Amino acid sequence: MQMVAEAQERPEARPIFGNGERANRLKATRFGGKLVNDYWESLFAAKEQGKKVVWYNGTYIPPFFHAHDVAWVHGEAWSAMLSAKHREVTAQARGDEKGYDRELCSYARTHIGQLLIELDKIKAGTSDIAPDDPRIETMLKLPPPDMIINAYPYCSSGQQWDDITYRLFGKRVPMMTISIPLLWGGRPDAGYLRGEEWNERSRYVADQLIAMTKFMEEHTGRKFDFDRLSEAMGYVKKAAQLRLEAMDLCTAQPSPASFFDWIVSIAPVNFLPGDQNIVTYFEGVLAECKERIARGEGAVKDEKYRLFFDGMMNWNKVGWLADKFAAVNACVVAGRYTHMSFWQEPELIDVNDPVLGMAQNYLICPNNHGAPIMIGEIEKICDKFKIDGMVMHAARTCRGMTNSQFLIADSAKRHGRQALFFEGDVADESFYKDELLNVRLEAMIEALDAKARAA
Amino acid sequence: MDEILETMAVVAADPLAYARQWKKETQGRVIGLFPMHFPGELAHAAGALPVILQEDDEPITVGQAQVFNFYCGYNRSIIDQALRGEFEVLDAILFGDHCVQLLGTADVIRASLPKMPILFNQLCSILDAEWAKAETVRTFTQLWKELEALIGQPIAPEQVQASIRLFNRNRALIRQLYDLRRAGEIALTGRQMQDVVKSSMVMDRAQHTVLLEKLIAGLERRGPPTDAVRVFLSGHLCHAPKLPVLDLIEDCGGVVVDDDLYHGFRFVFWDAAETGDPVEALADWYLLRSTKVPCPTRAVKSLDWEDYLLRNVRASGAQGLIVLMAKFCEPHMYFYPEIKEAFDRHDIPHLLVETEHEEMPMETLKTRVETFIEIAKRRMAA
Ligand code: SF4
Ligand code: SF4
Repeated sequence: MQMVAEAQERPEARPIFGNGERANRLKATRFGGKLVNDYWESLFAAKEQGKKVVWYNGTYIPPFFHAHDVAWVHGEAWSAMLSAKHREVTAQARGDEKGYDRELCSYARTHIGQLLIELDKIKAGTSDIAPDDPRIETMLKLPPPDMIINAYPYCSSGQQWDDITYRLFGKRVPMMTISIPLLWGGRPDAGYLRGEEWNERSRYVADQLIAMTKFMEEHTGRKFDFDRLSEAMGYVKKAAQLRLEAMDLCTAQPSPASFFDWIVSIAPVNFLPGDQNIVTYFEGVLAECKERIARGEGAVKDEKYRLFFDGMMNWNKVGWLADKFAAVNACVVAGRYTHMSFWQEPELIDVNDPVLGMAQNYLICPNNHGAPIMIGEIEKICDKFKIDGMVMHAARTCRGMTNSQFLIADSAKRHGRQALFFEGDVADESFYKDELLNVRLEAMIEALDAKARAA
Repeated sequence: MDEILETMAVVAADPLAYARQWKKETQGRVIGLFPMHFPGELAHAAGALPVILQEDDEPITVGQAQVFNFYCGYNRSIIDQALRGEFEVLDAILFGDHCVQLLGTADVIRASLPKMPILFNQLCSILDAEWAKAETVRTFTQLWKELEALIGQPIAPEQVQASIRLFNRNRALIRQLYDLRRAGEIALTGRQMQDVVKSSMVMDRAQHTVLLEKLIAGLERRGPPTDAVRVFLSGHLCHAPKLPVLDLIEDCGGVVVDDDLYHGFRFVFWDAAETGDPVEALADWYLLRSTKVPCPTRAVKSLDWEDYLLRNVRASGAQGLIVLMAKFCEPHMYFYPEIKEAFDRHDIPHLLVETEHEEMPMETLKTRVETFIEIAKRRMAA
């Protein structure tokens, strides 16, 4: 369920809607584009440098790879990148041809479809590129895996996706699956970051992470260096703290940044190497937020409404959606995906002995809590950022994030907030219904106006 | 015999009505269980009637307020039943699966039935992990404790062993029916076999076992029509296939000789050890199940569902495979292409039937099944 942040869309893509205003995106995030490109470049050079390559799905485990000096490919990042560049269709068609139903997680379908295209080429003994090949040039060099690691919190689909990848590679690539179980929160002492279940599950995941270091040792023939892990986690922790500090500034009205800025800032806290660059990135973001506050400049012109985005991101539509909300003076200030994930509890990490705190951060990804605790946390965020309404993205093929959405919307309404649902998907554009969103968004804005007038 | 089958059919058709009646008569507790991997033995040892909660035939109405229409029929139906108040008969619900859709359903049920005790213990789904055994033992130990808290008294290991013995006996008898059917010695229809298995998921096990003993002894030794095409049924995971679909296969000239359905052989094929520590026995039972009949929700690296199917289609003498896939069932959607390719490669006739909770287009299905049966016949003749 975790994702990339390289949303580059067709520049002309913008909704014809509302007052025509566009989102005032943070300039500091551009540095992220460079970092992401550097990351892919070094990945493509990995084999030449004699590095082993791990394909992984799920939570943000790259610091372990970084520490062990292996290169890493995040399956979701790959699908999201293709999708953000509108290159996903051919990969999905190849998956279709093999028989993967379009109701299946579109991240998985895109990733598996692309993998099949690669395997076709290998079998045919040709590396020619068909004119409609979805791969951007650099993807040509995407190295095949030496290891597969799955660490998917909550979602069984995320786990089964790698079960298929493993089989498609003829079971020749060693695979390890880490289980990150749901924190159901049913025992009397259960709560956010507390209780018997929390302690027990934290240890369970931490033990598996240690087992993962052994797995890597076995398949590289080298000892795992925990000092290097500490070093990488030092940067990650700092970056995470800066990110939260900048996010907190968005309690200001107008908000200096929006959910869409945080969406494009996921890569540095999700899969980029834990080094000074990610700290520099968030220093830049924080500084720009401060400057904007000093100038009274918002992420949206004349901010009138403040919204919360629930659900998985619609990767084909990042800029499109940012502009759509800006065009009705609505700032999407926060979201479940951005604000409840990606090292959101950095203080749990003891840099000198980071594994347990890392496990704990993995356990509290945005859907891995049972609904009562998760919704409690959502309400806290909504209160803190003075949210007027919820935008619920019902991502058609992502049950991981659509589970509980009705309960979240019910709770929002009980707390006096509006809620709208719109249909779309993580990486399959054909499920997105623009008209439906327009109509519902207009209705929500009218209702918010009516409420303001009555007050 | 008809009477026994009729009793089972009535229970299978309305499991909660049976549970209500049982409760009225015994004043005992009824505990709802979710498919597909939780053993009912512990709940039984706690003196309760374990009932595996089933999809029903009602259209989804009130449930629409809590579940999207792109969820499988099982989840939508369960949520609808919960909101319709059908689960009032239950004293507790045991959850524990890994399927992401079921996890969502667990939360909706918790929210809509706030007084219902929910004993949630998620099973480790990676059966070949180093820690799988220890984790499964931990899960069942925890469940044992929670059941004791629910009933307010300890559950003795001997009680659990007695339940294991009873459940084993019940499963073994159903397996006998499977053996007889495979050997062509009895002619239980697909519908009847499902009623047998589904009623065993619901009825008092001792009562069901007595019925089974009588049924096996009394069932006429007569095979199905010799010109019928022998069919193996696969898939359908948490849903019991709709009975008209099973009837249709036979009406078109097929006869179901074997299956890997949860409401079929998957439910009965494997027993727990009757001696030793019962928690260990149940953990081993759970972990080894998928090494016999692979389940796409519990992928094990060394096993492939398609290999199992190829082997067992041959072993049962089936001339073709019909895959019943519930719409929106992700685990099944992931693994189906492997099955399709394997059967194509081996040139064995196979047909995918996607099923829906709502009305199925039976006329179109009939044409497809007829064509499939024709192909299988021609392949036999060739
Ligand atoms: S269904 Fe959603 S949460 Fe699950 S693997 Fe796909 S994108 Fe991730
Ligand atoms: S039928 Fe499939 S999707 Fe539905 S609950 Fe069972 S495993 Fe999950």
